Amino acid sequence: MRRGLISWSPEEMPVATLEARVSRLQQAMREQQLGAVLLHTSFAHPAAVHWLTNFTPYWSEALLVVLPQGTPVLLAALTQRVHPWIREVSHLGDVITAPSLGVSALSYLGEHTEPGAKVGVLGLDALPWSTAQPLMNSDWGPKLTDISELFGQLRQPADMTELRLAAHAERMAEIALKVIPMNARTTNTWASVMEAKARLDGAEELLQRIAPDLDLSPTLQRLEDDFPLGKKSAVELTLAYKGAWVRMTQMVCSEPQPASWLAAQSWFERAWRSMRAPYADLSLAGEPPGQMVNWTLQSCIGAEPLQVVAADAGFAPCSLPAQALVLLTVQLQLTDGPWYASQMLVLGTGDNDSRRLKDLAGL
Amino acid sequence: MSHLLRDQRCARVRHAMGQAGLDLLVVIGDAWRSDYLRFVVDVTPMEGVAVVALGRTDPTCVWVQHPAEAARWQQALPMAVVVCVDDPATAVLAHLAQVPSSVVGLAPSQVAPLSMAAGTLGKTLAACTAMLDGLMVNKSLEEADALARSVRLADEGYAVFKQAARVGRQEFELVADVEAWFRSQGCPENFMILGSGGPELRSMHPAGERRLAPGDLVTTELTPCADGYYTQICRTLVMGQPSQAQRDAFAVFRQALEAGIAAVRPGATHGDVAKAQNDVFRQHGLGDYVTSQYTRVRGHGLGLFVDGPHVLEGVPLVLEENMTLVVHPNTYHPVAGYIVLGDTVRVTATGCEVLTTTPRELFSVPL
Repeated sequence: MRRGLISWSPEEMPVATLEARVSRLQQAMREQQLGAVLLHTSFAHPAAVHWLTNFTPYWSEALLVVLPQGTPVLLAALTQRVHPWIREVSHLGDVITAPSLGVSALSYLGEHTEPGAKVGVLGLDALPWSTAQPLMNSDWGPKLTDISELFGQLRQPADMTELRLAAHAERMAEIALKVIPMNARTTNTWASVMEAKARLDGAEELLQRIAPDLDLSPTLQRLEDDFPLGKKSAVELTLAYKGAWVRMTQMVCSEPQPASWLAAQSWFERAWRSMRAPYADLSLAGEPPGQMVNWTLQSCIGAEPLQVVAADAGFAPCSLPAQALVLLTVQLQLTDGPWYASQMLVLGTGDNDSRRLKDLAGL
Repeated sequence: MSHLLRDQRCARVRHAMGQAGLDLLVVIGDAWRSDYLRFVVDVTPMEGVAVVALGRTDPTCVWVQHPAEAARWQQALPMAVVVCVDDPATAVLAHLAQVPSSVVGLAPSQVAPLSMAAGTLGKTLAACTAMLDGLMVNKSLEEADALARSVRLADEGYAVFKQAARVGRQEFELVADVEAWFRSQGCPENFMILGSGGPELRSMHPAGERRLAPGDLVTTELTPCADGYYTQICRTLVMGQPSQAQRDAFAVFRQALEAGIAAVRPGATHGDVAKAQNDVFRQHGLGDYVTSQYTRVRGHGLGLFVDGPHVLEGVPLVLEENMTLVVHPNTYHPVAGYIVLGDTVRVTATGCEVLTTTPRELFSVPL
């Protein structure tokens, strides 16, 4: 809920980039004979609409309507007073006040699409019922079709604009992690200095989880209290900059780093390089120097900024193209305690290793 | 204290479930609408969707979408069964299919997804959401006490904001100072919007890159939380000495806030509190500026969500002891621009207690 800087810089996010993304979607819509596509956006699920328009809702919810031609239109539950701000930070056609998104969508579809046309919805099953109900109970109900797979195919690989923003976000996170004082006694000090540094650098959002004392518990905690720091800790920082989300994890030791951590880091660097599209699988990366507790591969393929697309358990693997922008996270149980790592990657394929986002040329 | 609150709230929910004849209550939430989950099990999701199935006696089941979230939930709820899956809704429906004879309810209507609400479960949404809303609005003494404790964060946070506001600084730099201070106090969440400029200002918004200039009105609404309970303060300052026009405009807002607070007492409605504020604007010939064209609400309930039941004319919600709300006549003034002023209050047996301690001044930042 901590929204910092939200703005639109056409230098960092050119209109041409947004229009190219919309064009790709519209081309796919024509191929699939979709008369319209609906994309819901909210504070918790902002990524898809941001990718197409640069709009991020700091409050309330909205529904983006994309037709086969033209600039997308936003049905916004936010009141009309806020429309100038929405226009300032987004590239949109019309902005329409819509106290009930579902009812307004019905009306808009009726006026702007052919009767009987199929309507694609990103994440149809997950659409909030308050928005879905009017649509499902109308003649449009049987014509609604989920386009999550289609959208995912369009969404990755990331374009250069997104890679640049993500690389900038990663640098910001790296700097914020570097400023944490090693002599701090409690988590509040770390949280505060990271917050100050990242926000001053223009972070839009900052999520912090800290495992304050790995000798006591491996759990990365939400900071609702001031926890004493032990000798060994882990900090996970998730940072958004102008809609680009990254995550970094840092292991912290008040003494020289244990040899086990160095061995784990060495394994992890070999492991992330070995990840390959389309079904990246860390279990193929060779035995880690400890017990694998869990791993996840996350990417932005829908409305969530960092969605788990593959994991050690519980997730059906999701196909990703080469050059997809992904986040790999790992938790190991070493002989002397828990160990975490994460890496933002551009996914390799065939003989080409995955590469760190920060190592890409031209960023 | 949080554990005491958690147990108390959970007991109230289970009692209400018993009265409603529910065996199982399925509650869903995310990082924005976390309030219902927080009320039921005292955990706030950080990413993805989280779903809880709360039985009247059975162990609680939780489905989340990220291993780190699963670990966190498991630590917070050691007796619960916590599962990490890509699609919690489908997993919950499969779980419910194994207990076909149970009477199951679903909440809240704001975030329940189509896949869960389209069937028979959806028919319970309105009643179960209303059941939880009733429990959340009518706070216990301990809940109201918890919220009252968090007001310190808002008052001291505003002092940090005033200190941060200097000519030449960009809006987002003020946010950095305030958020860093909240973090130093162990405050995990704050909803914050602001505005800077002159009579052209029509609302507040997330921080942008505009630099503060002499003569600017700088508005903000800070909404920090402690133990999950949000409190709010709204104040306006001027970069330099306020003009007479700005002082005159502000006086109307102060009068409206005082009138609104005077209307807060058991038996009064949210509509009464709104009308008391709006009448002041009408008396000053500013009635147009209390409409939806210029303003949103005249305050709202406060609790586990930043934006509880709205204070608007006609809203019939009846105030009872220990309810908490912010009263804020925030709106556009045709001469001065957008001005905000709001205090958090707690309904008492005979009226209300103003919890906010920051003076109701149009503050001035020396140039």
